[in-house]
Amino acid sequence: MHERRILGTELLWAFGVGVLIAATLSMIVFTALTGDINPPSNVERLDPKTLHLSGEFAEQNLGTTVGADGSVTVRAIATQFMFVPHCIAVPRGRPVTLRFATPDVIHGLLITGTNVNTMVVPGFVAQVHTEFYRTGDLLMPCHEYCGLGHSEMWSTVQVLPDDQFKPGQDGRVSCAQR
Amino acid sequence: MVPDQPPAADAPSEVADQVDERALAEAMRVVPLGAGVLAGLAVALLVIGYLLIYLLVFLPRGTVG
Amino acid sequence: MRNVERLCLAHFWVAFAAFLVAAVLGTWQMWVRSPLGAQIGTPGQYFMSVTAHGVSMAYVLTTFFIMGFGYFVAVTSLNRALPGKLWAWVGFWMAIVGVVMVLIPILMGDASVLFTFYPPLTATPSFYIGLVLVVGGSWVWCVLMIVAMREWKRENPRRPVPLAMFGTVANAVMWLWTTVGVAVELVFQVIPASLGLVQTIDAGLARTLFSWTLHAIVYFWLLPAYIAFYTMVPRAAGGRLYSDTMGRVTFILFLVYSLPVGMHHLLMDPQHGNGWKFIQVLLTAFVSVPTLLTIFTITASFEVAGRLRGGRGVFGWIAALPWERPMVLATGLAFVMLGFGGFGGLINMGYGMNAMVHNTSWVTAHFHLIFGGSVVIMYFAIAYEIWPRLTGRDYASPTALRLQLWLWFVGMMVMTLPWHWLGLQGQWRRVANFNYADPIIAGWGPWVIVSLVGGLVLLASALLFVRNLAILHRSPVPAPQQPLYALAVHPPQRVPAALNGFGLWNVLVLVLMLLAYGYPIAQFILEPSPSAMVHRMY
Repeated sequence: MHERRILGTELLWAFGVGVLIAATLSMIVFTALTGDINPPSNVERLDPKTLHLSGEFAEQNLGTTVGADGSVTVRAIATQFMFVPHCIAVPRGRPVTLRFATPDVIHGLLITGTNVNTMVVPGFVAQVHTEFYRTGDLLMPCHEYCGLGHSEMWSTVQVLPDDQFKPGQDGRVSCAQR
Repeated sequence: MVPDQPPAADAPSEVADQVDERALAEAMRVVPLGAGVLAGLAVALLVIGYLLIYLLVFLPRGTVG
Repeated sequence: MRNVERLCLAHFWVAFAAFLVAAVLGTWQMWVRSPLGAQIGTPGQYFMSVTAHGVSMAYVLTTFFIMGFGYFVAVTSLNRALPGKLWAWVGFWMAIVGVVMVLIPILMGDASVLFTFYPPLTATPSFYIGLVLVVGGSWVWCVLMIVAMREWKRENPRRPVPLAMFGTVANAVMWLWTTVGVAVELVFQVIPASLGLVQTIDAGLARTLFSWTLHAIVYFWLLPAYIAFYTMVPRAAGGRLYSDTMGRVTFILFLVYSLPVGMHHLLMDPQHGNGWKFIQVLLTAFVSVPTLLTIFTITASFEVAGRLRGGRGVFGWIAALPWERPMVLATGLAFVMLGFGGFGGLINMGYGMNAMVHNTSWVTAHFHLIFGGSVVIMYFAIAYEIWPRLTGRDYASPTALRLQLWLWFVGMMVMTLPWHWLGLQGQWRRVANFNYADPIIAGWGPWVIVSLVGGLVLLASALLFVRNLAILHRSPVPAPQQPLYALAVHPPQRVPAALNGFGLWNVLVLVLMLLAYGYPIAQFILEPSPSAMVHRMY
């Protein structure tokens, strides 16, 4: 007598819970498929032991580059205990692709006030696509413990308005001197 | 080894409690109305909070992928 | 008590000693990284402390408490002697040796790798071998729990396993599955690297294997609190458990869904793609179900108790509950913290939304609140409840117990709520000191100090907890003889085999793990990622 009613009530509650979960998951799927809301997930392997020597992450290629088609790509290295380059310039209101690699241990980074957040794992390239909505100076710290100097590992991101985001001859954009 | 006698504190689950079965039946006519409302309110707050953060904090910070 | 008092007390005192030391360290850490402690402490000291704090709270407090509680439940709920008690002591001492082997390198500065020890950062071999011994000791416990239940079932055919033991064995089985990830990582990757047998290590694989353990382990910690919710709290409140069946369903859901979800700790990682991340987010949504079921069932059980005490109306039963009883008070406080902590967790697992919070203070806030808050406050309540049964003495007055619980609640809320806010501002984790001169960081200072105040309250509570238990050993008041476990509104006469054992569920765990982790792990063997140089921290 009691038991049937109890189980019935629990099933009713479970059903309600199930509806909520389904609704939340649907929202997640919807924004993933339509709104470009996904965790950064470009699986691309790269040898950490040689990345500084040549190729995409050689020192001369680091920083912000505007391609011939106008696409903006940022390349940076995370290493114990700094980011190279120490300051990165990005444009406001344009799609930006950020690519990171590390030659040593696991690092991670975020850019304050934005959804840019990724781990940087040796052996892989970490890639994030985003758009910066507001101009200003942002912090980009290393947010994963990488050794005793971890607390000092951070860099700056300058979100520049159009009139200040001017690529040089080689397509490179450096931080504004202030 | 000498087997020791279990004190009452060891009593298994079947040991009766102080609950009067008639009072229990009376209470069970209403239960779980209060729990449903309280737990339902708590979960509703959770969902609302989630949506607020999603729409007002997360999405305005930009796309991510 | 069939002579397990010493066994249980030994485990508990090790757990609580580690807890107290970790509480002191945690408070020191909070001071050092606040504006008030800007000149104090070196990074070397800070990260040594964080490693010790994490290892003590996450591995020592938990494992030893759960083992001790399990032995207690096995004897009292089954009304039976513990099988293999000698082995239980072997497991205990094995774990003690392990703890010593972990602590010494930490104190020598040779293991500042934090409790997550992500390679390529590598500590001295003793640290990892010690962890393996602790896990090994806990495996002995798992086997004994399973054996105890099996023997009871043989002697009590067709009877439902008492719910407290069912939950305990669910936890033991889950722990066996859980530890496979970290065991493989340690034995095949990290220990060889730390011994110098290999010079490189696959960091992506190591992180993935650790994630297998990292999520399920929190449910290992959580289940004893839920065992208390279902089997002790209703009686403490003077009522009945609303549904025994839902208790069994809850423990089974945790066993099945705690494991194939670890990748939600890797949502920001570059070694796995969207598809696998989404599958594990989907499964993570399922693991929220047993908690949502539990809050309803336990609230309903409270409602039964409150109405039996004269509570009327939709909410009148709440005030009618015996809040002066520590177990009841702790549960109420635990549920409030579970609400906030669970909210944080839902954000963490929200697929893309994880980008907003990953590796910020939001995460630190979440696990301190949900584990340090909801779960540990129930550990306190369980200890208070069973200490008289272990010592044969009772408390002179429960006032100090209630004070300690309130202090823990207030301290935890004051410490963690600002961290949520700071996390959204971008404050990141595992930092020895912040540059408070930076304009963005300067604004965080006051909130960090508020958090520190919460930490100090927690420290006071931790000291009071240990004091409350210690003085009980000398109390002149004899312990009353009273039953411990709750009855259900409808005590089960028979339950289906699926709700009385784990054979079927183990198969389901295997299937789900193959689905969720099969390829994500196999990929490292099929297409090895370039490995990283081992980086010695010693």
